[in-house]
Amino acid sequence: MAATTVLYQGSETQAEAARAEGPELWLTLPALTAVSGWELKPEGVCKEETCVPVPDSRRAALIRSDPSGTLFDLTEFARLIQQPFAYDENHAVWYFGPAGWEWKDRMTSRQAPDFELPDLAGRLHSLSELRGRKLFLLFWASW
Amino acid sequence: MITIACDAEGRAAAEPFTTAAHQQHPSLIDEKLTVAELYDARNVPSAFWIDENGRMVRANDPIYAQRRNRETGEVTLNTEYLDAVRDWVAKGPESKYLMDQERISARRPALDADDVAAAAQFHLGTYLALHGHAADALAHFKRAHALRPENWTYKRQAWSLGDIERDYGTTFQEALKDPESGPFYPPLDLVEHG
Repeated sequence: MAATTVLYQGSETQAEAARAEGPELWLTLPALTAVSGWELKPEGVCKEETCVPVPDSRRAALIRSDPSGTLFDLTEFARLIQQPFAYDENHAVWYFGPAGWEWKDRMTSRQAPDFELPDLAGRLHSLSELRGRKLFLLFWASW
Repeated sequence: MITIACDAEGRAAAEPFTTAAHQQHPSLIDEKLTVAELYDARNVPSAFWIDENGRMVRANDPIYAQRRNRETGEVTLNTEYLDAVRDWVAKGPESKYLMDQERISARRPALDADDVAAAAQFHLGTYLALHGHAADALAHFKRAHALRPENWTYKRQAWSLGDIERDYGTTFQEALKDPESGPFYPPLDLVEHG
């Protein structure tokens, strides 16, 4: 067991990796849900309304039996759902980005994507609350 | 008007500028580039026009409305661009400065696997740099830059967290000439050409 940090779509969780082999991050099922929100169910790997079926050809690469219980390879799952990831061996940190279905259709709509971000005082603002006016949106940076 | 600061170091980095500018509009912070990536703003400044129905009508304009020369203090206004904004405000959908779907898509092209892999490497690098592991962050930043050389935000933010000459063996002026990266600021193309 090794302490790892998992950065999963905006959340940061410290987890015990059941096994880390190179980039492969094997987690117990409770750890899987704690770091990513995904749950292994009979119908597949599920979160809220989404269930990803486990193809027979990928089952052995995704799920293993181990003396400590069933283990799940979150990195292999990322490949299955075309989710970009990166890991740092020295510090045992894994980063997981958006799933394929999120990043692939992001750009196809003419509609300006809604978002919510804090101002300097920490108060949240969304694009949709300003609907009905013309908006000039400017990205800048101090660097 | 909304401004969004793309600063990994958040309020501490952005606030000196926003205070000096006496901003009256929502002045937001996007520490993790979540919204910059959603809009595919690949450098700053980058401006988007959004109409009353929430539709994007111009995308990724590499624009300074006003620039101040750091040495002379002289302020120059980009009157051509400001006139275009005023034209849109006055004429709405009839403004000649609006982009059609094709031009919007060209400014905000579909992402591929390398693009999103670059984002993952960049964000991991940022996390490490902000947690005191600047040396280990470098390898991830370099991978991000190689995977998506046209994203200047990934480069400029990484350089600001380290030292461009020591860590990347280049200078800002040299990096501007890198053919892989494409133009630092693409042509503004206020109206359609050709």
